[in-house]
Amino acid sequence: MKHLRRIFLKFYLLFANSKVEAELAREIGAHLALLEDEYLRQGMTPEDARRAARLAYGGVEQATQLHRDERAFQGLGQILQDTRVTFRQLRKSPGFTVTAILMLALGIGATTAIFSIVEGVLLRPLPFPDPDRLVILGDVLEGSHCASCAPSSVTAPDIRNYMRATQSFSHLGGYRGRLFELSGTGEPAAVNATRMSGEVFAALGVPPLLGRTFTQQEDEEQQQVAVLSYGMWRSRFHGDANVLGSKIILYRKPYTVIGVMPREFEFPLNPGHVNQSELWLPLSLQPEEFTAGSAAAWNSRMVGRLKPGITVEQAQSDAERVARETMRDYPAYMRSLRIHAVVTPLQEDTVAQARPLVRTLLFAVIVVLLIACANLAGLLLVRAIRRRREIAVRLALGARAATVLRQAIVESMVLSIAGGAIGLALAAVALRVGVSRLPQTLPRINEIGLDWPVMLFALGLALLTGFLCGLAPAFAAIRTSVNETLKEGGRAATSGSGHVRLRSALVVAEIAVALTLLTASGLLLRSFEKMRDVKLGFRPDNTLAALYVLPQHRYGTQSAIDEFTKTLLNDLGQLPGLDAVGITSFLPADGNNWGIAFTIEGYVPPKGAGLNMAAMSLVESDTFEALGIRVLRGRVFAESDNAGSQLVAIVNRKIAERYWPGQDPIGKRLRRGLQETSTPWMTVVGEVDDVKLGSPDAETMAQVYQPVTQTVASEGVFASVGELSATDGWIVLRSRMPPEQMEDTLRATVRKIDPQLPLYQMQTMEQAISKSEAPRRFNTVLISSFAIAAVLLSVLGIYGVIAFSVALREQEMAVRMALGCQRSGVILVILSSGARLAAVGCGLGLLGAVAASRLLRSFLFEVSPFDPGVLAFSAITMLLLAELRRRMIEKSLNPFRISLGNRRVYTTFAIELKTLR
Amino acid sequence: MSNKEKESIQLLQGTLDLIVLRTLATMGPQHAYQVATRLQQISDRLLNLNQGTLYPALVRLEQYGWIKGTWGRTESNREAKYYEITKAGQKALGEETQTWRRMSALVERLLLEES
Repeated sequence: MKHLRRIFLKFYLLFANSKVEAELAREIGAHLALLEDEYLRQGMTPEDARRAARLAYGGVEQATQLHRDERAFQGLGQILQDTRVTFRQLRKSPGFTVTAILMLALGIGATTAIFSIVEGVLLRPLPFPDPDRLVILGDVLEGSHCASCAPSSVTAPDIRNYMRATQSFSHLGGYRGRLFELSGTGEPAAVNATRMSGEVFAALGVPPLLGRTFTQQEDEEQQQVAVLSYGMWRSRFHGDANVLGSKIILYRKPYTVIGVMPREFEFPLNPGHVNQSELWLPLSLQPEEFTAGSAAAWNSRMVGRLKPGITVEQAQSDAERVARETMRDYPAYMRSLRIHAVVTPLQEDTVAQARPLVRTLLFAVIVVLLIACANLAGLLLVRAIRRRREIAVRLALGARAATVLRQAIVESMVLSIAGGAIGLALAAVALRVGVSRLPQTLPRINEIGLDWPVMLFALGLALLTGFLCGLAPAFAAIRTSVNETLKEGGRAATSGSGHVRLRSALVVAEIAVALTLLTASGLLLRSFEKMRDVKLGFRPDNTLAALYVLPQHRYGTQSAIDEFTKTLLNDLGQLPGLDAVGITSFLPADGNNWGIAFTIEGYVPPKGAGLNMAAMSLVESDTFEALGIRVLRGRVFAESDNAGSQLVAIVNRKIAERYWPGQDPIGKRLRRGLQETSTPWMTVVGEVDDVKLGSPDAETMAQVYQPVTQTVASEGVFASVGELSATDGWIVLRSRMPPEQMEDTLRATVRKIDPQLPLYQMQTMEQAISKSEAPRRFNTVLISSFAIAAVLLSVLGIYGVIAFSVALREQEMAVRMALGCQRSGVILVILSSGARLAAVGCGLGLLGAVAASRLLRSFLFEVSPFDPGVLAFSAITMLLLAELRRRMIEKSLNPFRISLGNRRVYTTFAIELKTLR
Repeated sequence: MSNKEKESIQLLQGTLDLIVLRTLATMGPQHAYQVATRLQQISDRLLNLNQGTLYPALVRLEQYGWIKGTWGRTESNREAKYYEITKAGQKALGEETQTWRRMSALVERLLLEES
């Protein structure tokens, strides 16, 4: 108890200092007076008495100090004192203070913003209980080089087999994402929904906010129930607490709402924020999904929770065993396919793709921070050098080196904490503005924000920065040679080689680092430029596209579908101002380009070549003309190519060159599936240009086109009973006027045929391309901004150092000029001394640039690390900087300032000369 | 430092507190000079306390809440700060005295055994 009271008082008394000091002085005075009286009584004279009293007392200063030490936390008190002094000093030099704080704010703010991305995406554990036990289970299909497929997926039979036969999972289930038409209340809309096994909810383990989730039994019984996401509950149902039991209409079928998930729940963890699932429905696998073509469609994924004590490797061998059984049971037409089971932790699966991007951003921003810190250290160093006489005096008067050191560090920390606070505010603003602009390739975007770990990081960063930046000038300060400094009276030109080396090192480092970042950004800009130069294979101007999906409920027969399509094309064809109309299953630049396997007549694949994969587009009407795809050979499809006629196909140049090099592909034959699949042959009737189905910097795929009406016929044994074709597609219009003006007309035309059918993702092709370029654009813009910031900061830092070094050498310059040196000669002297520094900096910078470009390789597109354009750009920048430097030096060498110094020199000289004579 | 001081006993911080407390308890409210004089008297000048080192002890005791200081006037009409022991201080004095007696008895016993 006594200690508690004491601690409180010790802390409190830090702030009541002046009052307590006065009280103590009073008490000591009283004590001395009493002692004096005693000695007077003993017969001493008043002065002797006073002296004796003081002697007997034993040193007023020491007593006061002992008292101080006893009554309050002295260490803390001293730091508080230092802080007050620092505030006063900083207020006296506002220019320095503002510059330093702004630089730090920029560095710390940018780093904090990027770190919040790192934290939200990579570091934070997934929002499920015990997330390390969650894994993704999937197949790797040997030989399928499908670049944009999900890394490990499963077929419907796989889901059934794995769920039934594996032993390592306490819960395991499959899921598949799908766009659903939601109607009934208000405008029909597209919602992203996920069909999931009931087991998936059990595996994830997140309890619902309202109601309940569906069970595996309800899934198998094909119950029509739905669980809403928090977002959908709030937006469409206005947070109505009575939503449970109400019905929603999906594809014209009623589903009962049985639960609502909490706000933080997100599954699957898709990249971007437009792809998040708003609805969860039972997987309800239909019998036809286990047969024919669906049995060979790797379009689902599985997630599970490992049993306690089971490792990932054990689960993988367990799954591998089941995979082998599955392969044994393959139907004849899949006999040659081989799969391997793969078990990946869910965290890894979610973030693996984003990791390179986030890491690169982190490196780039740390570079900016380092430059800001180097600048601050340089500024503080200059300040310390300027105050070395003051420090020398203090040291001579008995101040301890530790005190001076502590003050320097406190000053640096005050600056860095102020800078950190402002930086944090900047980061908050940047995040609020920028989160919506983050590329759609980043998962878990909703979790990016300023939460406790990020704020602690910012604080820690500020403290660390302050401490480190303060060390350099602090040590410089205490190494001040008291004697020399006081003797010379501040005329020393360079004040010690240690300072010079430190300053030079800082300048060199800044130049090198800025040059590296500049080169990196130059390479990225070049890649972006190259990407925009890529031939897309189609003409995106004046083209409008929109997606429609025909609900099976209303369009249950092929004739109903065909009726719709015919009416649609007819009505659209009659619209004025349209050059061409088409419907296609794959829209270029949309990024949706999963492939199918196919077989070429007469082509024997080399050993281990894998499957032949191609993106199969089903087209109708004048799609090639609507998209502006160039026909290289042969013809396009016509009305006569329909369900009953000979099966035809059109291939792209890549297929023609790969499988029939040097020959005419017209008349050659190919078919869907593998060697052992019995599917009918399709005859090639035309060859078209390669089309970029994804972003322009992705590889071109092999592409096959076929009339949508011939789909079922060409599927042979893959066709399911009662399979319908043309149930969905992208309408493509090429108009003579700006495509935005066609939007309403298109909507009206469709609504006239079926008022309840919505059109999804209506966009012009230019918008689609822009979207596909967005990820690369984001990288490039961000890293270039960092590079510009780095260069600006370096220039600022270099200017500060140059201005100061010129000021320091003023006297030297004055002497030189007094001795007859021309002004230009003086400039040369200063320039040459710094030129070596700049050269070293540039050299290191070029090395750094080479290293950086190797790290960046995955982000570069058709640009070599030694791209001459970029190197030239960097070289020119350095030359510009050198020129800038020269001008700054010239400006600093103001003749008037030197002449003021001159006077003293002249006088001294005159005296010396006189004495010589 | 004079020879006399070399002979004097170096006091531990805690025991100084105890002594001061005891002095105030027996003598009633005293000011710092009085306490110092009394200590010198009793210890026959063996205890040469730097008058200044008394103050940290007084501050400590005040912060513990065991003594309380008030400004007053001496007989010769000089002002001085009088310190008075509090109730908590009385209690603490009893406890600390007991602790000290026990400890010194223990040390004494150990020393006897060795010799």
